[in-house]
Amino acid sequence: MKPAAFEYHAPESVDDAVGLLSSHEDAKVLAGGQSLVPMMSFRLARPATIVDINGISDLDYIQCSDGVVQIGATARQSALEESCEVAACAPLLAEATGHVGHRAIRNRGTLAGSLAHNDPASEYPAVLMALGASVTAVSSGGSRVLSVEDLVSGHFLSTALGPDEMITEVSVPAQSGGHGFAEFARRHGDFAVAGVAAVVNMNGSGVASASIAAFGGTSPARLDEAESALVGSDGGSDAVAEAAARAASQFPATDDIHGSADYRRALIDVLTRQALQQAIAGAQEV
Amino acid sequence: MTTTEWIGARAPRREDPALIRGRGRYVADINLPGTLHMAILRSPMGHASINSIDASEARAMDGVHMVITPDDIPDHVTQFPVIWRLPGQKDSGTPALAEGKVRYVGEPVAAVVAESRYVAEDALDAIDVDYEPLDAVTDAEAALEEGAPVINEDWGDNVAIHHVFAGYNALGECHYDAETFDNAEVTVRGRLKIGRHSGIPLETRGIVADWDEVHGRLTVHSESQVASLFRTELAASLGLPETAVRVLTPNMGGGFGNKWDRYPEDLLVSIASMELGKPVKWIGDRREGLMATVHGRAQVQEWEMALQSDGTILGLRGKVINDLGAHLHSVGIGPAWVTGAAAPNQYKIANYYCDVIAAATNKAPSSTFRGFGGPEGIFGAERMMDKAAKQLGMDPAEIRRKNMIQPDQFPWFNAAGAVYDSGNFPECLEKALEAADYDRLRAEQAELREQGIFRGIGISSYIHVSGFGPSPILGYLSYYTGGYEGSTVKVDPNGKATVYTGMIPMGQGTETTLAQVAAHHLGIDMDDVRVVWGDTDQTPYTGFGSAGSRSNVAAVAVIRAIEEIKAKAIRIGAGMLEADADDLEYAEGAVSVKGAEEMRSVTLAQVAQQAYWAHALPEGDQPFLEATYVYDPPNFTTASGCHVVVLDVDTKTGKITFQNYVIVDDCGPVINPLLVEGQIHGGVAQALGGALLEEFVYDEEGQLLTTSFMDYLLPSFTDVPDMEIHHVVTPSPHTDGGFKGMGEAGTFPPGAAVANAVTDALSHLGVEADELPITPSRLWGLIQEATG
Repeated sequence: MKPAAFEYHAPESVDDAVGLLSSHEDAKVLAGGQSLVPMMSFRLARPATIVDINGISDLDYIQCSDGVVQIGATARQSALEESCEVAACAPLLAEATGHVGHRAIRNRGTLAGSLAHNDPASEYPAVLMALGASVTAVSSGGSRVLSVEDLVSGHFLSTALGPDEMITEVSVPAQSGGHGFAEFARRHGDFAVAGVAAVVNMNGSGVASASIAAFGGTSPARLDEAESALVGSDGGSDAVAEAAARAASQFPATDDIHGSADYRRALIDVLTRQALQQAIAGAQEV
Repeated sequence: MTTTEWIGARAPRREDPALIRGRGRYVADINLPGTLHMAILRSPMGHASINSIDASEARAMDGVHMVITPDDIPDHVTQFPVIWRLPGQKDSGTPALAEGKVRYVGEPVAAVVAESRYVAEDALDAIDVDYEPLDAVTDAEAALEEGAPVINEDWGDNVAIHHVFAGYNALGECHYDAETFDNAEVTVRGRLKIGRHSGIPLETRGIVADWDEVHGRLTVHSESQVASLFRTELAASLGLPETAVRVLTPNMGGGFGNKWDRYPEDLLVSIASMELGKPVKWIGDRREGLMATVHGRAQVQEWEMALQSDGTILGLRGKVINDLGAHLHSVGIGPAWVTGAAAPNQYKIANYYCDVIAAATNKAPSSTFRGFGGPEGIFGAERMMDKAAKQLGMDPAEIRRKNMIQPDQFPWFNAAGAVYDSGNFPECLEKALEAADYDRLRAEQAELREQGIFRGIGISSYIHVSGFGPSPILGYLSYYTGGYEGSTVKVDPNGKATVYTGMIPMGQGTETTLAQVAAHHLGIDMDDVRVVWGDTDQTPYTGFGSAGSRSNVAAVAVIRAIEEIKAKAIRIGAGMLEADADDLEYAEGAVSVKGAEEMRSVTLAQVAQQAYWAHALPEGDQPFLEATYVYDPPNFTTASGCHVVVLDVDTKTGKITFQNYVIVDDCGPVINPLLVEGQIHGGVAQALGGALLEEFVYDEEGQLLTTSFMDYLLPSFTDVPDMEIHHVVTPSPHTDGGFKGMGEAGTFPPGAAVANAVTDALSHLGVEADELPITPSRLWGLIQEATG
C-alpha cells in the first residue's frame, strides 16, 4: 500500500499553484489529503504531480461579511465546526460538519477538498446545494464563480472543474429561516447510506421557500419536487409526508453493498421527514 | 498487591505498561541491517488460468533484488500441509504461489524483493501476467451443483468433504432414528445463513526471515500463534532440518486464530532470504489482510427438529454447508466439523444426525477463527430452539429449561461424540434471566409495542468445548499434532522463578495468567515470576497453542512442574532443617515443619541457594531447582453460559439499538476476573460484528468488494453495548484447579442472541432473522416482505 512515484510541489501562492497545474500534465491538488492520499496508497489514483497547497497561508480563513460566509481552500473542517461565524451565519453547515468522518479526519480535511473530490456519499455537496453556495475556481487564465450545484451535479468522484483549475474559496450565503439535517450511517463516522439537508423559510401563511438536497446515491441531488410540494403548504405533517414521498421518488437511488436502492429511497423518506420537521420547527422560531 | 493467593486476584495485566506506552515490539519493528522488502503480486481475478508470467522488466528495475515466480521456487520446497485430515477429505495444501491457475482474488502469483517496499510495489506493476478468465463460482450451494466450475481439478468436483455425524456418542451408542422425524407431533424447520467474516487483528500479518549462511540457520520473526508447529512445518516445507530453524515471536497485536495458520508469504520470505543471504521482510497491508488472510464462519445450515407438543425435543437433524473458499487451508474443514459436534448444545438430544459438506468456492480460504465452528453450531441450535418455542407457543426460556442437561447428568455424552465434563446450565439460564429482569421485560413488551417501540429479548445458551485436547483423541480425529502444553519452571539461586511456555501471547494476557498461577503455587510475589515465551530455542514445544482457550492446559503444566519443584524443595529443606521430609510441608514460599509449636522453616530462596551450591544435596538429586512438565489433558473442558440481549428495532430504517446485554459465564474457577471480563468483552464485540456489521462480499466473478475498512465494517465502541457479566462456577473435575478455557466463549452466543431478539421484536410481523449479518438494509427488506 505504497503510492506510485510522483513529483511534489509546495507552492506558496495561488498564482504559483495554478501555474503548476497548467504546466504539468495529470497534476492533483493536495489539501487535507483525507481522500487523495488513501487513493494514492491503494494506487487507485496515480497523479504524476502533486501540488500541495497547505503552504499557501492566505487560503486558511473563515470570514463572514455582507451576508456571505467565505471559507478559504485550506480551512480545516474542524475549524468550521468551531467557528462562530459559521455557527451564526450557516448553522446547517456547522451541524453537518459534525457528521463528517471522525475528529481526526476533520482536523486535516477541508471543505473545498471534499467538494473537489465529490464523493456522492459525503455530506458537503448536498449541504452546500441546499444552502445555495458557490465556489471560486481559479486557473492561470483567470477565475470564475460557479454554484456548487453546477460544480457537482451529474458527476461521480469528479466535478465540473478543469484539470488546471483549483477551488480557492467556498461562499455560503448567510442562511435564513430554519434548517434540518438527518443522515443514516452504518456506524458513527461512516459515510452515510443516505442523508438529507434542508432549509425552510416560513411566512404568515405557511412555507415561503424550501431548499432540500439529498446524498447517498451516485450523485448528490437537489430535490425540487419535494420543495414544490412543501412551498405554499402549511408545513404540517401531511405536507411534510408528501414532500418526503416525493423526495424518495426523485432521489437517484442506487444499490451498493450497504443498501439496496429501495432501502435508500425508504431512508430518504424517513430522513426527509426528520430534516423537514427540524427545519420547520426552526423556521417557526425565527 | 500483597498476597500469595494470586489465583482469583484482579491482577493488572503486566503486558500493559509496555504496550500502552508504545514500547511493544512487533514484527514491523524488527529492522535488521540490510533488510530487503517483499511485495506480493496477487490475483486480480476470482478464477483464471495463468498462461504466462513475464517478469523480465521487473527483474531489470533498479533496486529489485529478486522476483519469485513459480519457476523460481526451488524444486524441494513443498506446500504447507493441511494438518486436520479427516477420512474422505480431499487433499490439498497451501502453495507458495498459485500453480497454473488462480482460484481467488488475492492469491499470490509472484513476489518481488527490493531495497524498499516502494520499489517492490513499483516492480509489481511491471510484471505481466497473461490470465485466461474461467467461470467462477462464489456460492457454496451453486458450487455443489452438477456442471459447476471445478476449482481444484484433481478433486473432480468442489466437495472437499462430506462428513456425516450419524448420531454416535463417545460410548459408541447411536440413537439416530429417522422415523421419529416422520411421526413427531411437531416438526420445526429452519434454513440459516452465516456471512463470511473473520478475526481482524489490529496488527496485520508479517514476517521477517534471516538466513545465516555461515551457520546454516534460518531465524524467522513471525506472528504465528503456534511457533513450535510453525517451526516444524516451515523446516519440512523448506527441506531444512528442524534444528536449522529458530522462530522468534515478538508482541502480537491480536491473532484470533487466523495467525494459527501457515501462509504462502512464510515460504516466500524464507526462500528469498536463503537465496539472497539477506534478511527479507514482508508486512501485510490492510488490503492484503482482508483479501488474503483466512476467512471464517460462512455457512448455510438446514435443520429439522422433532418435538412432543409439550416442548420435549425428540431429535435434531440437519445439513451444514461450509463455504470453504478456494482450497483447504491449515485446519482443513475442522471448523465445520466442530459445528456439527457443537449443535446439540446444552440439550438432551440423543437422536441426532448432521451432514457436513464443505464446498470449494472462488473466495479466500476459510479456516481458523476464534470459536472455530462452535459459534456457528450454537447459532443453529439456538435459532432452532426459538423457532420451536414460537411454533409451540412456548416461552423461549421455558423450552430451554425443559430440555437442558441437568447438573447431575455429567459426564454427558453428546450425540456427536463430545463429552461434556461439567456444568450447571439451568443455573446459568436462570441467573441471566434474573439479571435481565426477564419477567418484567416480557410484561412491558406488549405495552411498548403499542407505543411503536419494538423491543425484543433474545436468549442464547451455549457450550464451549475448550482446552483442546487429549492427544490420543486428536489422533482419533486425524488431527496431526499433539494437544499437550509443556512448561519449564526454573527457580534461580535467589528464589525467584522463571516460567518457560510454548504458548504465544496474542493480547489475552497469557503472561499475566501464567505468572499468577506460578506465584500462587510457589507462594511468592507475582513480581518475582518472569514468563519467557516467543523463542523456540528456549521454550517447550507445543503442538497446539490456540492460546485463547488453552490457559487451562498450560496452567496445569505450570502447576505440575511446580509440584515437582516443591517436592525437591522439601527434600533439600529436610537436610537444612534436620528433619524428616515426611514431617515437612511447603507453604507460603517456605518449607516448614508441620505442626511445630516453634516455627522452623527455610525459605524458597534459602533452599534454592542450597540447590545451586549443591554442597549437601539429598542422594539422587541433581543441582538446580527446576522442573519441566508436559500436560496432556485427559479430556476437554466444557465451558458454558447464557447471554440475554434486549434491543429495539426501528422498523422504518432497520436500525437496531441495544438496551441491555447480560452475560452469565461458567469457565470454572476464574484465575483473573479482570482478564476474563476483558476476554468476554472482546469476544462479544467481535461476534456482534459478525451479527450486525462484518461481511466479506464477493460478486459473481469472485471480485472482493470489501477491501478496506470503509466497506468491511468492524464494530467500534459506539456499536458495542455495555455488558453486565455474572459468573457461575462449576470446576472441571479433571483439571488441576478446575479451570476451563474461556478466551473464545464470548464469540459463541451473540449471533443467536441478537437474531432471536430481532425476531422476537418483530414477532407481530412474522419476521425471522435467519441470516447474519443482520444489516439495516437486509432487515428492512425482511420487514417489507413480511408487511407486503
